[in-house]
Amino acid sequence: MELSTLVVGGGFGCAVVFGWVAGRTNFCTMGALSDIVNMGHWGRMRMWLLAIAVAVAGTTALAHFGLADLSQAVARRPTLPWLSLLLGGLVFGVGMTLAGGCANKNLLRLGAGSVRSLVVLVILAISSYMTLKGLFGAARAAWLDPIAVDLKHLGFADQGLGTLTAGWLGLDPRASAAGVAAVVVSALLAFVFKDARFRANRAQVLGGATLGALVATGWYVTGHLGYGENPETLETIYHATNSRTIESMSFVAPLAFGLELLMLWTDKSLHVTFGIATVLGVVAGSAAHALASGSFRWEGFASLADLRNQLVGALLMGFGGVTALGCTVGQGLTGISTLAVGSLLAVAGIVAGSVATLKFLLWRAENE
Amino acid sequence: MNFDKELDASGLACPLPIVKTRKALGDMASGQVLRVVGTDQGTVHDMAAYAEQTGNALLSSGEEGGKYVFFLRKK
Repeated sequence: MELSTLVVGGGFGCAVVFGWVAGRTNFCTMGALSDIVNMGHWGRMRMWLLAIAVAVAGTTALAHFGLADLSQAVARRPTLPWLSLLLGGLVFGVGMTLAGGCANKNLLRLGAGSVRSLVVLVILAISSYMTLKGLFGAARAAWLDPIAVDLKHLGFADQGLGTLTAGWLGLDPRASAAGVAAVVVSALLAFVFKDARFRANRAQVLGGATLGALVATGWYVTGHLGYGENPETLETIYHATNSRTIESMSFVAPLAFGLELLMLWTDKSLHVTFGIATVLGVVAGSAAHALASGSFRWEGFASLADLRNQLVGALLMGFGGVTALGCTVGQGLTGISTLAVGSLLAVAGIVAGSVATLKFLLWRAENE
Repeated sequence: MNFDKELDASGLACPLPIVKTRKALGDMASGQVLRVVGTDQGTVHDMAAYAEQTGNALLSSGEEGGKYVFFLRKK
């Protein structure tokens, strides 16, 4: 089997499981924040944190045993564009709250029959593409990305917490990465499992662990199975990834690349990639769950206000997701699994933007 | 089922149905019943979690004419 086919098939398979599990457990990062702000309920947040803990443990283990070179991941690059990460995250957080869910949630909804989410995803993909290569991208590249810290100049090979700790304390980088991951994972697991109600919720426990494991599996697929010789150039490359390096689950830029592929299908330099396959896989997994559970139902826009909120949210998510180098999954699970400082900044921005918007919605409802 | 107040959250996506439910219950007296109608599938999970967390009883959760219908009694 060609490596490209293996990577695309592996990405699709992981994403089908991701879509099924996320649909079954109602996994939603915006919903997790809304539950906390509106009702003080931490169940879905604990599920997200459990997924992060498992993703960090699995991803660190892959790197530790030489099965994936995380230093090649986009999230770990030695240049830290902190303003883009924070601002992009903030804008994404506002957008996902206005749209009633992030890119992942809209893929899940589409699988469950929401035509409204299809429209949201198309606008999100256009906005994402505009931020990668178009009008928004010019502004991003001119005004935001240059505001960055060059960690290489400061003597660090990448922005992983393990690498930074090793540099500061003069430790072996491999041991340092394992040590930092052990501390982070232990702290997360202690918080997640201290709640008896969460411990008793088998679906959320299994769901969170599975989603985290799928992120680590994605790194393995692109970074180990898909890392090999290109028969045409004899170079060793990462096959079938848009970034041409190691990748795992992420949805905002892959939506743009999917749209590009559809629009420029006759351009033979474009192919189905791991990212595009994961977008399709999540929809397929969610659809399979919705059909099997009898929860599939067609859904459209209900009002002009609904349409307005969804479209503005989609536009903001496309810009914010690309600028922050990922969404709630791309940074909130995948990026953070590499323990990159930039991913922590992006997630902080997403949470701040979403919580601020949730509090505004609450304030507006109480003052109507 | 009899109810004292109705909230039409049709067409509203998460988190708005819960935000408006919280506001509606806040204006009601203890023991009164609120009927909520919505179209967002996520509301089924949200309403159960909201009732469990806040102590307002979820008397029923079902579907009528393609919409989700909930009855909540204020604690």
